[in-house]
Formats: sequence, structure tokens, C-alpha cells
Amino acid sequence: MTYERVQAPARRRGWINRRVALGLFVLPIAGIQPVSAAARPLRIVCLDDGLAETLLMLGVRPVAIADREGWEKWVVEPPLPAEVADVGTLLEPNLEFLQQLRPDIILAIPYLDGIKPLLERVAPVTTIGIYTEDGQPYRRAIEATRQLARLVGKEAEGEALIAATDASLLGVRQELVPLSARPVYVVNFMDPRNVRVYGRKSLFQEVFDRIGLRNAWTGETNYWGFSTVGIDGLATSSEARLAYLEPLPEGAGGTLTESPVWNAMPFVRNRSIMRLPAVLMFGALPSATRFARVLAKAMTGEAAHG
Amino acid sequence: MAEDAATLVQVGKPAGRTWPRGMFGNQPVGAVLLCVVLSAAAVAATVSNLTIQLPSALWLRSLVAPDIDDMRQVLVHYAFLPRLAVSLLCGAALGLAGTVLQQVLRNPLASPETIGVSAGAYLALALATLLAPSLLAFGREWVALAGAFIALAAVFALSWHKGLSPLSVVLAGLVVSLYAGAIGAALVVLRHEWLASLFIWGAGSLGQQDWTTTLWLLPRIGAAALAIGLMVRPLTLLGLDDEGARSLGVPLGVYRFAGLGAAVALTAFVVAAVGVIGFVGLAAATLARIGGARRLSQRLIMAPLIGAALLWAADQAVQVATGPQGDLLPTGAITALLGAPLLLWLLPRLALGWEVPALTAERLLRTGQPGLVLAAIGLSLLLLLGLALLCGPGPHGWAVAFGDQLQPLLSWRWPRVSAAFAAGAMLALAGLMMQRLTGNPMASPEVMGISAGAALGMMVALFSLSDAGRPVQTAAATIGAFAALLVTLAIGHRAAYAPERLLLAGVALTALFDALILVLTATGDPRAMLLLNWLTGSTYGVDANAALLTGAIAIVLLILAPLFMRWLDVLPLGPSAVQALGMDVAKTRLLLLLMVAALTAASTLIVGPLTFIGLMAPHLARRLGLARAWPQAAGAVLAGALIMVAADWIGRTAIFPRQIPAGLVATLIGGPVLMWLLRRR
Repeated sequence: MTYERVQAPARRRGWINRRVALGLFVLPIAGIQPVSAAARPLRIVCLDDGLAETLLMLGVRPVAIADREGWEKWVVEPPLPAEVADVGTLLEPNLEFLQQLRPDIILAIPYLDGIKPLLERVAPVTTIGIYTEDGQPYRRAIEATRQLARLVGKEAEGEALIAATDASLLGVRQELVPLSARPVYVVNFMDPRNVRVYGRKSLFQEVFDRIGLRNAWTGETNYWGFSTVGIDGLATSSEARLAYLEPLPEGAGGTLTESPVWNAMPFVRNRSIMRLPAVLMFGALPSATRFARVLAKAMTGEAAHG
Repeated sequence: MAEDAATLVQVGKPAGRTWPRGMFGNQPVGAVLLCVVLSAAAVAATVSNLTIQLPSALWLRSLVAPDIDDMRQVLVHYAFLPRLAVSLLCGAALGLAGTVLQQVLRNPLASPETIGVSAGAYLALALATLLAPSLLAFGREWVALAGAFIALAAVFALSWHKGLSPLSVVLAGLVVSLYAGAIGAALVVLRHEWLASLFIWGAGSLGQQDWTTTLWLLPRIGAAALAIGLMVRPLTLLGLDDEGARSLGVPLGVYRFAGLGAAVALTAFVVAAVGVIGFVGLAAATLARIGGARRLSQRLIMAPLIGAALLWAADQAVQVATGPQGDLLPTGAITALLGAPLLLWLLPRLALGWEVPALTAERLLRTGQPGLVLAAIGLSLLLLLGLALLCGPGPHGWAVAFGDQLQPLLSWRWPRVSAAFAAGAMLALAGLMMQRLTGNPMASPEVMGISAGAALGMMVALFSLSDAGRPVQTAAATIGAFAALLVTLAIGHRAAYAPERLLLAGVALTALFDALILVLTATGDPRAMLLLNWLTGSTYGVDANAALLTGAIAIVLLILAPLFMRWLDVLPLGPSAVQALGMDVAKTRLLLLLMVAALTAASTLIVGPLTFIGLMAPHLARRLGLARAWPQAAGAVLAGALIMVAADWIGRTAIFPRQIPAGLVATLIGGPVLMWLLRRR
């Protein structure tokens, strides 16, 4: 329903999209897309990083996102153009500021349903859920990509992104065939004792399935696809490897290695630990690609070192 | 846990006033019994927890020389056992600290939590973690110690001119605690990516991964305990009145400082090691006293024992509930959850030796021209309203909006401004009524747990009803506020509303509520984050309907207020004076209480339970020279509205485009104002 309200301006500007399509190859690099009065692109405020990274990969720069300073820490790539404004925190984006940005559309996620009535007073809101009770974030990320591509009139780029993601995961799968016997835990450290471990319903799980790896964590997860457990909860499998994601909370790196419990963990004792750069854990297709790539790099690096 | 509760009741019962003192001489039999029962429960839970982890044949081996290849033994040796040791140590340290504080400050309300020491240590650690992690390299202990001592120094500075009298110390302690808590909450709201870890630790998770914490705590707690042991005689004399002690030739100041220093150090060690463990210090010291430990030397032994048993039992019970090494249900929050009702139940049985002076005892100036003062506050309020509605930063910097620009901006601004206005005014009136009703200068909806009750009611509505609209929330909050009021007053009833009992009941209710919030947050329920936003008093979600509803309630209640003014003038004179004037004391009280509940509920829904405008605004009005009920009420209402509107405006503009919740800003700006007022007394 909100979708139709959004489609109307998009269709009106169909000719713009054809023109912009000529500059296809420039766009992904470019936050430099010229904003001339005649070719005004859709002004999108995107309140979810997963949707924002998808937009950027489609060559569209949102006007503003929430929690902008978190991007470099949690998402890293694609890089966020400097022109993208910050509307404040995710749960309380600044409404006065939003209004003055005059967006054509606001992209939100079901988590923000509580403030949707407020957002709708500024501009039409489209809610796209990638993480839901029934899981399957990868399939939903594909749907979200198609929906966003239609929204900005870049269906071809959308299909290209989906195909490129599938292809890159397939490539990683072939690369990792010799290393796929042992299961892997993927965690974020909350503090030196507790981790978020990703399992069913997470994007990482679906990447695992596609690159032929086994997730060592088979326990319960919430609808974001993680469970918070003490590190000793990861001792169930003796052959598992551990991949932990940056950023580390302040103080976690220092004390980790001194702990006897940590040092007694099977993956510590047989030196099967991999430190991965940050990957958005609640992301979409670009995060899936990035995760597969950094994981493959860490695993093959580990194998090379013996 | 049910078993625990049942045994506590059985043990606690004879410990009340009816306890036959003669039968066992002066031995603290009740306290010893309580200790034994708690320990028995703790042993049972410990054995059950151990059995799950490891066959009993391996217990001794894992204690002495664990097989590093057997993960189960590693976990028992490096996680389960040190955690047990830490729970014992921390419980004992807190019990000892609580007893020493109560003795030195001659106040049964004193404890690491009530005099601001725990909060100071916690805040220092939170600040260091988020803003200057390099400081932690020197050891988080030192950071905590620094914070605890700064908090204590602040409390002293605020109560120095009163000769560190019990009342002034606890009042200052509460203010410092609330203030430190508010800054901590602001940090969490602004830097929420580390929210979970800050909460796990801040709520007192006892989880361990080696023996370093135990070995670190042991000598430090031992040294502090030894120092206290050497001071038993002078500390005992501190319990007498100043004159009595002085005539015996005891240098009061020196031992007071030494005792306080030892207690503060104990608290800081515990906070640095495991975070804030709610209520154990207060509960252990109080239970020892109630359990018949009357002499200081007895209490100094019994309170640490009870504290250790209490924390041990609570921690093992948590592990029974969450599985061994469960970290996600913080034990510190659970102790508060258990300790608060226990204390509420015990309160009527508590023999308090001294009472605080009533409000009327204060000597403050009176203005001859209340009209002029009121006009000045009113004018400032009008100016501020103009600023709040017209000025603010935008994408291109600060701007005064007018004409076409103003219309869309105003539609966002006016609901928030008017809701803040109404909430501030109502809280101020509620605070004034409570202070005059109870004759207690520290009374206010926030301090006495009425706000917590309102918040609790609202929480129940939020979690039990699938779609609770604002009218439902208002009703639930009113019920909660009134229930909290009734509980508080039922406890105070037997003591004829003695200020200390009311206050203690309020503190207990507030702690109970805080604990519930912590537990909910730790469970990771997505509603908890929304709840946290509301708790800190965000006016973000206030739309036109909510603003109109709150405004309407405020207008109705403020119109009713003049009916109460004569009572409020008379009530501080005492019940006999009230009766002499032909008023029905009980009916008067009931009506006033209903009014307070309604005022608190309606405002808490907007600005959260933590603002302490209700405490501050009446004092502000009084110190501006408004002495009689009518002008003081008018002044307080205007001042309350002024502070709240200012807070909302600052919150919206200070770190644009981000926002700081208005309730939090009110606390942040209100705290220093209140401290300044205290200082001038």
C-alpha cells in the first residue's frame, strides 16, 4: 500500500532513470553523481544499514541514514559517501531534521514499526523486513534487492547484484572445498566472557549453507539469528574453529588471552581461531559477499600457515 | 527459591519486636539462624549445580589439580569455584561496609547504595570504558576507587556545613546516586552498541574465568576488614551522641573518616570486581541488627556472614535457573529483586533509634512579596517557551523559525514542549504535596517509589497487553503509582509516617523496579530497548493526542489543587493540630494521596520515573522565599514546568541531530541545582 505511494513519483521520473542508466559504470564509485535541478534523483532516507548498503551497490546514494558514525565500525564496505547525512539514532531519528531534508521516501524495517506513524508524517514509509520470525534472510535480502531496484528504477543493476552475489558465494564454495570438513563458530565478543554466536535465521548461516561450511552452533537463536552465551558454551565441539568478528568491545582483546578457560577451549588449544574484520551481521547481499570473502581469506590464510 | 523465601519468613518472624530477649541473653540468635538457613539453601543449590557439571568423583580433583584436557574440570576449577569464592567475598565485604556506614553515620538507611559510593564507582568505570579505555590499563580497580571517593567527597562537600549529620549525608548521597545514575544512563543511550556488555557487568554479574579476581579481592578486603577490626572500640563510641563520645575523649572526626574510608574502599573493590550488587550491603546490615545483633562487635561479625550467605545463595539460585555459569541473569539485579521485598516486609519490625527533623524545623527566609517572585519565574517561563518553540538547529545550523518555515517545525515541537510543561508542573505539585504531607524534606514521587510504581504499572500493561494505547497506559500507571503509595504508607503507618520509614520503603521499591528493568534488559527482549528509551524520559514519541491528553489531565488536576491548599498549610503542624482545626486526618490524607498518585502517573508516562523534579521544584520555590502553601505551590509548579521545558529543549538541540531524553537532561541540570541548594543550607 505504501509501496504504490512510492511508485508514483518513481514512474513519473522514468526518463531520468534511462538517462542515469547511461552513467551506469560511473555510479557505484560515485557519490559524485551530479544533482542538477532537472535530474533530481529520488531523495531516500534509509534507516537500515542493510538496505543502505544494497542501495549503494545499486549506485544510489541515500540522502541520510541513521547512526552514521557506526558505519565504518560495523559495515565498512561499501564506503559511505561523505554527503550522506546523519539523522540521529536508529530508534529516535530526528524528525525536525528529517522534515527539513524533504525526503521522497523513508525506508524502514519492522523493528521501527513503533515510530512509523511519526515517520509517515514526513514522507511515505516503505518497510522492508529481512530479519523476521521465519528466518531465511538471504532469500529476503534478494527480494529486498529487487524491491529497492524497482523503487529506484535500476532493475538491471539489481539482478546483476543478485547474480554477482550468487557467483561470488559459488566461487568461495569451490575455494573452500578442501577446508570444509570442520565446523566453524562465528561470534562477536560482548565482553571477555560472553559472545553473540550466530546460527539459524542469521545471514551468516545462510552464507555457510551456500559456501558448503558447517556452522558449529546448532542451538537456539532469536529472530536476528544470534544467541548470547558464555564462551564456555562453545566447548561442545572439539574440532570446531572459531571466527570472531571485529570490532571488539573495549577491554576484550586484552584479557581474553590470559583466561585459563579461554586457553582451555578446544579451538584455542589447536590454534583454530580467526579474527575477521567487521561485517554487518544484520546486513543484506553485500554483507553476505563480504562475509564469505573475509572468511575464505582467513581460512585459506590459516591453511597456508599450516 | 520458594524454599528460600519460606525459610526466611520462618526465621525472620521471631526476630521482630516480639522476640523474647531474655531467653538467649544478648546473643544474636535470629541472625545466626538466618545465616544457617541461608547457607543450607546455598549448599543445596551449590551441590545441585556441581552435579550437573561434573560427576562427584571428580570434584576434589578439579578443585586441586584439574585435568586441562577435560573441559568440565577446567570450567569447575576456573569458572564455578572462583565465582563461588567471589560471591562469598563480595557479600561479606558489602555486609561489613553497610554495617560500618550505618554505625559511623548513625543512620539505619546508610549503605553503599544509599550514600552514592556504589553509583560513583560504577559511573567512573562506565566513563572510563566508553571515553578513555586507556585509563583502564592502570587497573579498573583504581578507576572505581577514584569514582567512589569522588562521590563520597561530593557527599561530604554537600553535608559538611551540617557536621556530616545523618540526614544531610543520606540526602546528599541520594542526590549524588541519582546524578551518577543519570550520567550513566546518558552514556548508555548515546553509545548503545556496547549496551549489553555494560548492562551485564553493571548489573553485577559474578561470572569468573580464573582466580585473579578472587586473589585480587582477598588481600584488599582482608586489609580493610582488619582496619575495621582495630577500630571496634572507637567505632562503638561513635554510636553515642556527639557529646557523650566527646566526653570520653574520642576524636570523633578522625574515626569517622577512617571508618568511612574503609567502608568506601570495600565498596569500590566490589564494584571494580563485579559491578553493582544491589541491596546486599543494606539488607545484611539491617538483617543482622534485626536478628538480635545489638552490639557493634556482634554486628561486625554477623553482617558479613549474612551478606556472604545471602549473595552465595542468590548466586547459586541464579545458576540453578540459568544453568551453571549463567551470565545473562545478573546476580546483582536478582539480589535487589529479592532484597527489596524482604526489606519491605522487615521494615515495620525495624526498631529505628532516631528520626530526622521535620521540614518545619528549617529556618529559611520568607519573602514579603511572593507575587513578585512568581511573576519573575513566570516571565522566565514565557521567554523559555518562545525559545523552545521557535529556535533550534537545522541542516544549515541554528535558525529562528518564522512564517512558512515555522508551521511544519511547530507541528513537531509543540506536542513535546507542552507535554514537558505539563509533566514538570504535575511532578512539582506532587512533590510539594508529599513533602508537606509527610513533613519530610526528602519526600518526592521519585524518591519514595511512587514514580517507580507508575513505571511498573505501565510496564505490566506494555508486556501483558498486546496493544496498550496511551489511555490504558495512563490507567495502569495510576494504579501502579497508587499501589506503590499504599505499600509505602502501609509500612509508614505503624510509625505514624515517620520520614525514615517512608524513605526506606521508597528506596526499596525503587530498587525493586530497577532490578526488574535490568533483568528485562538482560533477557534481550526488543521491548526492553524501547522501555529504556522511555525510562530515560524521552518525549520523542509524544504526538498531538498524547500532548492534549496530558495537558487536559494536568489542567484538571491543577484546577483541583487549590482545594488542598489549606490542608497543606496545616498538615506540617502535625496531626493533633489538624484535628484541633476540625479536619478528618485520615480522609485528608487519602484525598491528598489519590491526587499525588494521579499527578505522578500522568507525568511519569511522559518524562519517565527518574527526573527528580518533584524533589527539586518545591525546594527551589521555598528557597526563593515562598513559604506558605499557596505561593510555594504556584512557584513550584512554574519552576517544575520551567526546568522540564528547558530540559526538553536542551535535549533536542545540544547534540543535534541526536537527542538526549528530556527526563535525563532534567536530572543532569537539576542535580547541580539541588546540590547548590543543599550546600547553602
